[in-house]
Amino acid sequence: MTGAATAAVELPFAAVSGLALLPVLAWPRGRRAVLRPVFAGARRLAELERARIRIWLGHPVATAYEDARALRYVSVRWALGALGAIVMLSVVLGVAYGTFWAYGWLLVDVTHPGSVALGTLGGLFLLFLAVQGIFGVAELERQLAQRILGPRHQDELERRIVELAESRAAVLDAVHDERRRIERDLHDGVQQRLVALGMLLGRALRSTDAEHMDRLLRQAHDESRQALGELRDVAWRIYPTALDEAGLRAALETVAERSSVPVRVECDLDEEPDTAAATVAYFVVCEAVTNAVKHAAPSRITVRVGTEDGFLYVCVEDDGCGGADPKGSGLFGLARRVAALDGLLNVISPPGGPTYVTAELPCG
Amino acid sequence: MRVILAEDSTLLREGLVRLLTEEGHEVPAAVGNAELLLRAVEEEQPDVVVADVRMPPTHSDEGLRAALEIRERWPGVGVLVLSQYVEKRYATELLTGASEGVGYLLKDRVVQVDEFLDALERVAQGRAAFDPEVVRQLLGRSKHTDLLGRLTARERDVLAEMAQGHTNAAIAERLHISRSGVEKHINSIFDKLELTGGEGYSRRVLAVLRYLGT
Repeated sequence: MTGAATAAVELPFAAVSGLALLPVLAWPRGRRAVLRPVFAGARRLAELERARIRIWLGHPVATAYEDARALRYVSVRWALGALGAIVMLSVVLGVAYGTFWAYGWLLVDVTHPGSVALGTLGGLFLLFLAVQGIFGVAELERQLAQRILGPRHQDELERRIVELAESRAAVLDAVHDERRRIERDLHDGVQQRLVALGMLLGRALRSTDAEHMDRLLRQAHDESRQALGELRDVAWRIYPTALDEAGLRAALETVAERSSVPVRVECDLDEEPDTAAATVAYFVVCEAVTNAVKHAAPSRITVRVGTEDGFLYVCVEDDGCGGADPKGSGLFGLARRVAALDGLLNVISPPGGPTYVTAELPCG
Repeated sequence: MRVILAEDSTLLREGLVRLLTEEGHEVPAAVGNAELLLRAVEEEQPDVVVADVRMPPTHSDEGLRAALEIRERWPGVGVLVLSQYVEKRYATELLTGASEGVGYLLKDRVVQVDEFLDALERVAQGRAAFDPEVVRQLLGRSKHTDLLGRLTARERDVLAEMAQGHTNAAIAERLHISRSGVEKHINSIFDKLELTGGEGYSRRVLAVLRYLGT
């Protein structure tokens, strides 16, 4: 019904727009002047149609369309509206016929069983036509809106290409950040320890006092253990081998063990997610836990991971002071890593906490 | 000597302080960033400063910047810069401007305690100390390879020692040749490299290094 009503507006609108455009077609400035109100009107009408289709047919149509497409849509749509009106009319006729027939059946003596049968058949046929018509018109509405207003296949592809190019650049950046961090870890951690160790041994060699030398050697021995520990830590930060050997749950439990704040890990994995998703999930947890410990002073952290409908869900919750900045280098790097897998990273961190870092990663 | 240290790793800073005090030097200040270093130098006027290139806040080249500033403001203070790896740019920057009492060592060199102490001594006395690795890379990457090609193997050895800041006597000892032998080699090197000889040891070293670094 509303479709027919909007058509009644659209037809004159299209006709008037067409007539208004005819005289100014060859004159660009005039054409622009006329087009502006025409486009605005067309857009308003198209928006109205969009809302109608969403409400009645439950079919969302994209909002991003150009003015020209809105005008084209409106100028074609009125015909469909008219068709809808005809269908509605046939429904009304069918109802009228049916009531007439029921009235004849109930109140008037039937003298011609043949005409009743004919009437029944006719009524059913009209009913069938009307239902068919309603569905057909609804489908046509949907198709038309999708075709003219909806994103075209080409646009979809272009958008996807832009997305991929961006995420590829982000991955490269993330890799660079990673390498820089590894270099820093090696130089500021492992190398310092080894230099300190070498210095202790050098001092021991120069020492003339046996007791002093003994003390230095002991210190050096201790320092070498520390250097080894540091090296193991750095290697672990570069890639947690437990991921390959024992799976995501084991790797996350190791993160929990190494944290200075109590971490509870809740794993709900039907099966081991694929390596790419598991690795990113692991780093999300690692970075979120490190961030929380470093900046939020939480008393406890809860890590939840689970798989559902081909997605791996990760949620890291801490009861710290909140106010985490999603644009900060650590979280931003994570977002890039997650985006590279077509996943989504969310950070909810109101001042005063709690902080939630969640990730959804497509897997399998 | 009075030595001021600037190194952000507590571990190394402590180690260096111990090492220097064991060797009988005085360490009036040991700091963790460039700003504190400049303040300490101003107050203490040490003989020599040992500074790490990478220090907070950005961990890029704060230590080197501070070293250059010290050379400019207090030319009497020797500066020995420690770097994680050979950066030709740093070596070259240290060589511009005043040319006495500068040194550039790889951090790992500290492990060779004798060499480190020797380099520190030389810098404090207004001479030069350049890491063999730095010299090796400058020799390898010099734009004057055509001229370097004229040198004999022995002359190249002498050049490398000289560029590190060693005196003729030290070179003679290190390469097991006579003093006069070293002098002969050096004269021949200066001729072949078209370097007009300066008088002092440091200037001679810096001339060589500048030549290699350009």
